[in-house]
Order: sequence, then structure tokens, then C-alpha cells
Amino acid sequence: MSWSRYAAAKVGRALFVIWAAYSLSFALLYLIPVKAVDLLFDPQELLTISNATKQQVAAEYGFNKPALVQYGDRLWAALHGNFGTSVQTGAPVWKAIEEVLPPTLVLAAAALVLALAISFGIAFFASNSRHPWLVNLVETLPSATVSVPVFLIGLIAIQVFSFDLHWFPPLGDQGFGSLVLPTFTLAIPVAGPISQLLVNSFQRELSAPYVTTSLAKGGTRSWVIRREVFRNASLPALTIAGITFGNILAGAVITETIFSRTGLGRLTQTAVGTKDIPVIQGIVVLTAGLYAITNLVVDFLYPILDPRLKARIAAG
Amino acid sequence: MAVILHRRGLFPFRAPAASPSAVRKHEGGFRRSRATRALALGAALVSLGVLAACDGSPSSSPSGSNSAAAAVAEIPASTVVPGASAATGYGSTATAATPVPGGVLHFGVLDAPAVIDPHEASSYPESIIADNITDKLTWQDPVSGKLYPWLATSWSYNSSLTRFTFQLRHGVTFSNGQPFNAAAVKANFDQDAFGDAKLQITPDPTHWTGYIGTLTPNPYEVIVEFSKPNAGFLTFSSFSGDNDPGFVANKTLESTKTQRLIPANVIGTGPFIVKSFTYQQNVVLVRRAGYNWAPAPLAHDGAAYLNEVDIETIPEASVRTGALEAGQLQATLDVAPTDEASLRSAGYQILYQPIGGQNIAFSLNADLFPTSDIDVRKAIIQGWNRAALFGPVLSSSYRAAWSVLAPNVPGYASFENSALRYDPTAAEALLNSDGWKVGNGGYRYKDGKELTVKLLGINNLAPNQSAYELMQEQLKQVGINVELSVLPIPDFEAQEAVAQTTWNGIAGNTSRDDPSVLWQADSPAVGNGSYVQPSSPEYQPLVNILQQVQSTLDPAARAAATAQAQNLLIAQYALVDPVYVPSQVIAADQDVHGIVFDAQSRNLFYDAWIGK
Repeated sequence: MSWSRYAAAKVGRALFVIWAAYSLSFALLYLIPVKAVDLLFDPQELLTISNATKQQVAAEYGFNKPALVQYGDRLWAALHGNFGTSVQTGAPVWKAIEEVLPPTLVLAAAALVLALAISFGIAFFASNSRHPWLVNLVETLPSATVSVPVFLIGLIAIQVFSFDLHWFPPLGDQGFGSLVLPTFTLAIPVAGPISQLLVNSFQRELSAPYVTTSLAKGGTRSWVIRREVFRNASLPALTIAGITFGNILAGAVITETIFSRTGLGRLTQTAVGTKDIPVIQGIVVLTAGLYAITNLVVDFLYPILDPRLKARIAAG
Repeated sequence: MAVILHRRGLFPFRAPAASPSAVRKHEGGFRRSRATRALALGAALVSLGVLAACDGSPSSSPSGSNSAAAAVAEIPASTVVPGASAATGYGSTATAATPVPGGVLHFGVLDAPAVIDPHEASSYPESIIADNITDKLTWQDPVSGKLYPWLATSWSYNSSLTRFTFQLRHGVTFSNGQPFNAAAVKANFDQDAFGDAKLQITPDPTHWTGYIGTLTPNPYEVIVEFSKPNAGFLTFSSFSGDNDPGFVANKTLESTKTQRLIPANVIGTGPFIVKSFTYQQNVVLVRRAGYNWAPAPLAHDGAAYLNEVDIETIPEASVRTGALEAGQLQATLDVAPTDEASLRSAGYQILYQPIGGQNIAFSLNADLFPTSDIDVRKAIIQGWNRAALFGPVLSSSYRAAWSVLAPNVPGYASFENSALRYDPTAAEALLNSDGWKVGNGGYRYKDGKELTVKLLGINNLAPNQSAYELMQEQLKQVGINVELSVLPIPDFEAQEAVAQTTWNGIAGNTSRDDPSVLWQADSPAVGNGSYVQPSSPEYQPLVNILQQVQSTLDPAARAAATAQAQNLLIAQYALVDPVYVPSQVIAADQDVHGIVFDAQSRNLFYDAWIGK
């Protein structure tokens, strides 16, 4: 396998993932027994809207065409960057997404940084401590963080730090202060799988021959961990970038809802809740794209970071 | 799918609780493999499913009467200014002392407004925005139902109720300076009724049934013409629910649906102007200087007191009340019945008003077994105790539904001591004599078929699910097996389309403080909520009586027809099973004054002010 074949395979797979996500979302949404045109009217009045009126409106939106034709039309438009307009608000899909993306990106980035710090802290502590009970305790943290529902963490955080202590605002997006609690809430579940992985791989590396060698040469445990184990044990964390990405997105829905923030998560929830098909498809394609890019970056980073893989690819 | 699985979830967060297990599943395989990637892609799709599940939230709804609130302010009587009752009737905030102008009212709501165009308004917060930035031709008193002049100074109509003539107030302007006149009324009404495909504006044939057009004989007179009698149109000229008929400027009417998301394009004549709109975050209204045409029943003249109203969307119930207690909000709507007592004892005002219109009620399907059997319908209606809802499900801010209409709708008749009296013995006797015998599991059977009734509801009002479950539990005692589905609005709509052959009853409510709401929802010739077929004996009497309701404005004749219509729907044909009267409930700081509930229990902030 040469580098160019490697690259082509990875890029091709990324494009396939995006197309498949788009098509799958279209198929799923068509399986849901909602008539798109019904969503344009007030539910209280739906029974009083005549079929003629419905048909006229359906024709205006193109809902009356066969599903495959609609799929083709939409896919073609989507390829040109046009995902249509939100059924709920009338806003162009990309514009609706663009408006809510920045707050979510800020939140996600902050949460990822905090999650990494927590994860490395846990892994480092679990590997470095000489008190077995403490190690045991710390090692339970990763599974604990994924077992506690995000919404519970959020509600407790908001109750204690916002309503009781008045340290941070409970609502909205008003600068740094209002970012603290959501970041914390989102970081915890994201840190779970990462720290679990790190604890395991730190332990695996610690029993590797090179560590024994270094220790025999007189390196302290902490020195060996920082200088040698750290890099080798961190590499596998990259492999779950995709899962991390999914965790952040799923967590954002809940976090943004609890803290009444606007964002991609809330938009997704509303769009799914109201069966706003164009918006859902826009979000699915965006997230599939980001997911594919994340994995693509990992795919290209990995051989660079891991000389063994590099050699294998070069050898073809 | 996921949505259906979570239909029982009333609270937005029950479903996402599933996500940790999804995460746990992935803990095992961190080695990079095809399987891992498949899992990760799965995670993306799963998260979509999780999101779908979120829509168990009581919000997310384009519904007309979302979380209704309302009615009677529980405040010391001494703080209510006598005479303010005409406008504020049931439940506005205390209006003692001298109003203090200025300040910002931060007001919490559950639902995120999706649009700010008044004519597209549908959810409760959307209606509130529409109400505060526009004016209507008339103002309806929420208690008496009486109409007062607003942008129309007087009105008249022909005897067949097909021509309504309004004299318009002079000197009214839109906030962009455009004068309000007959041409503006005509342009608004035409677009309301017919829609505009080019601008993606959908028509509203329900309220505008039979609309021919609007004549403008002179700049301050309009004649609205219909092809058939439309008695309901007179109060519709004051309407504040879905498809609000408040007036917007030509600039708005000429904008596309998309352009109407921009506050600068949404221009009314009302006491407030939309200053900013951040989707899923908040809508800020700012006072309009120079406003001077409020309807007389409101407490003052001139501009509004508040500088700004910040309508904050807060999806989570505990955060709404927490933000109120933390001082981030001065008032919040969508207070859960279970939170009222503690908020009241913590010193907050609880303001409420029942929603005028058709109550939360099951329309029973007369075209589907077993509710095609009138004895089964009667047994359902008599077989459970509406008063038992108070305590476990409803607070004192709600009212028992002793009719299909809310008590404040003109023509309301109570069936508390007749057809809706809790009488399980009579229900059982009816079923026995009809051949339904108690069999396995305590349920009744006839000809080998179990007495199973499939009922469908919406989760847009917090008490719905629990209220229906109580009914289900009690009907079990008389041997009726109720299968219940309480769905988010889009799923409900999907089911509504197949209801005639699938569901024995559908529950919803319709905001409209006028007996025409019965015609709209229950006439077999219009909404036909009970699927009464033309061949059935119920068909013609119902069509006739509801057409009478729609064809007279003589108060006595209309009240008689309305009472008779309720009698047919409930007592004689047992087509409707009223559940409860929904309310809109607000919790507010003690120093918040003058929040008004209008006839549809939407809130006006025009009279509102914040004391020190």
C-alpha cells in the first residue's frame, strides 16, 4: 500500500460516510409516518384544512413528488450547498446552522480541553500513586462519569453553583462566566471513555520491557511516566476521536438545553422534535462531515506518530 | 421508532438518560478497527436517535395552545384595583400603588419561538410576541366575552352575518411610520386568508372560512365579506391565538417567510417592537414611544411602562423556577402544577387564567369499534371522576371540565350534575345491558372481543399524561381497557391523519374564546373530531345546531344554540369526553404588577411594571 492509495482509500471512505449519512437520514425520515405538509399547519386546525389547500401547499414545497425524485432533487441541491429552508422557521438551513455553530464550537472546544486535562490527570494519578486504595478509587472514576446522566450533573451544578452560591449565571450565553458550568457538565461524560482508555494503556505501557529497563537504569517512576510512558500511552486516545466527537455532540444537546443556550445541540433537538427534515439533513451532513474529517485527520496523523505504521505503508 | 418508545416521557431529559449506556457500549473496543468505526458512525446515528427521543419534551411544539396558563390571581383582594376587572378579569398581577415606568422584565417561557411574524404565530410564546407588537380591531374581555373598540371604533354587520363593517380609528401608525388605514386592513386580511405562495406564507382557511375579500369604501372604513355566515368572525377580530390577526405593515406583508425572521422586517402598530430575536435563546421587545391607542379596558393610556421585555426560552422546568428565585427572571410562564405550592409559600405570586376555548377533551370516534357504540361512549364519559384530578394531577389554578367549553366562553353550559357526573354504577349498568360482560383481567368482553379503547393525546401541556392516566385507571374499574399514547406534536399529527381507522379518541384543546370553536372543532361538516358519518343519526342535528351557532349573533339565540350543541355533543350523543380546563400559570416576584391575561390567556405586558 503506497501513500497515495492510503490517502485515496481514506478520503473515499470519508466521502462515502457523508453520502451514506445523508441517504440514511432521508430514508429514515421517510419511514416516519409524518406528512411533511401537515407540519406546516397548526395541529389544532389540521382537521379543518381541506385536502385541496394541503395539496396546493405541498406542491409549493415539492412534497407531492415521488420520494425518489425528492431524494434526487435534494441531493443535487445539497451538492450545491443548498439544503433548503427550515419548515419551522423559514430560515435557510445553512444560515440556521451557521448561527448556532459558534457557541457550540466554543463550548465543545472548552469541554474537550477540560476533558483531556481530567483524563490525563486521572491516568497519571492512577499510575503514579503508591496507595492501592486511592488507585482503586481513581480507577472507578471513568466508569462513574459515564454512568451519571449528563442532565443530572448539569442540574446539580446549576443548583449548587448558580442558584445557591451565585457564582455563575444559570442561563444563556453571556461570556466566560456562563461557559463554566456547561463546560464542566459536558466535559465529564466526554472524559469518561478517554480516561478509561488512558488508565488501561498507561498500565499496559508500565509493564512494557522498556519501562523496566528505564527503572533499572535509575529513572524514578514519575520521570519514566512523564518522559516515556506518556507519549506511547497517549497514542491510542486518538483512535477514539470519533467516539469523543459523538459524545460531545450528544452531550451538547442536553447541556445546551439545561443551560438554556442556543447551539447546534438545541437546534438538532428542536429539528428532530418538529420533524424539520431540511434542518435535520443539514445537521446530519455537517456532523457526518466533521466526523469523517476527524477520522481522516487521525488516519493521516497516525502513521506520522507511529513509525511502525509509517514503515508498513511505505513498504506498501 | 425512538420517538414512539419514549412517548411516555413527559420530561425532556428522561430520554437522554439513555445516552450513558450508549457510551458504555463503546468502552470495550478502542482498538482501531472497522468495527470501531462502524460503532462510531453508529454513535452518530444513535445520538440522532437520542435526540429524537428528546422530543418527549413538552415544548417543541408548533401547537396553538401550548402550555396554557391562567387565571385567577391568588393575591389579596385588596391589591386589585376595582374597575380594572373589565380588562384584567381573572388574573392579572396586582395593580395597586402608582406604576413605576422603566425597567426590564425578564420573562421565562418553555417553548422557543420559531417565528416572530404575528400571522405565523402558533405556539404560546409566539402568540405572546404577536400580542405585544400588534393591535387588533377589537378587544375581548376574558371574563364576559364582551367586545370593546380597539383599532376599530365601531362595527356593524348584516343580518346574515356575511358582511362586517368596521370604522377605523384615526391617527394610528405602524412603527415605521406607515399610517394604519383601510388599505392596511385589507392587505393583512387578504394575506391571512389566502396566504402567499411566493412568500411561503400558508393560508389560514379555518378562521377565514368563506372569506371573499375586504372592501375599502373610504380610508377609515372596511367591509369584510364572506360567502356564508361567519358569526365567529366578530370575536376573531380580537383573536390572540394561532394565526394572530394583528396588523403588520406593508413591509412585513411583502417580506418572505425567511425575511420575517429579521426583527426590522416585522412591524406592527403595538406598544412594543421586536428589538432582537435569537432563536432558542430569547426575544427582546422594546417599548414603542408615542403609542397611544390601547383599548379602553386596559389600565392606562399612552406608551407601555416597561422599557423592555426579555422573553427567555428556558426548556428545563427546575431552571425556570430556579432562575426566578435567583433573580434572573422576574416572572415565568409554564409553571408546573407541582411547583405552584412551594413557589407560593416562598412568596411568589401565582397568576393564572383558564384558556378560553375548547377544553382538553377526547373526541370519541363514532366511526370505529367499540366507540361506534353509544353506550360505550356514555360509559367512558360517566365512568371516571373529573374532580379526582385535583391534587394528584392538577392544582387549584386549573378548573374541572364540566363541559367541552371552558367556563368563560359565552354560552357555556355545565354538565357537572348530569351527563358528566361521576357515576360508575350507571356506566357498568349501561355496559351490562349492552352485552359487555366482565371477563379475564377484569375487562369486559362482548362477542369474544375485549372492550379496548385506544386513545391518543399530545404531550404539549404538562398535566396531560397524568390526567389521562388517571382516567385510564378509573375506567379500568368499570371494565374498560384504555390503551393510551401521549405523543409529541409531530407524531401526534402523523397519527391524526390515520385517526379515523385507528384511534377511538383524540385529545387536544383549541384556544378561541367564542362558541364558534365548537363549530370549528366538532361540526361534522368542518373539523368533525368524532368522525360522524353523513349516514348516522347524529350527523344532521349536529351540523344544524353548530351552523346555528355560526349564524347568529343574537346573544340569547346564540347561547341557546351553544347550550344545545354542548348537550348534543356530551349528553345525547356522548361524542366528547372532557378531561380538564387547561390554564396558563405564571409565577412572579411580588413587585411585578399589571401582567394581563387576554381572552385566550395570552399575556400583554402593556400595563406591566416593576415596583421597588
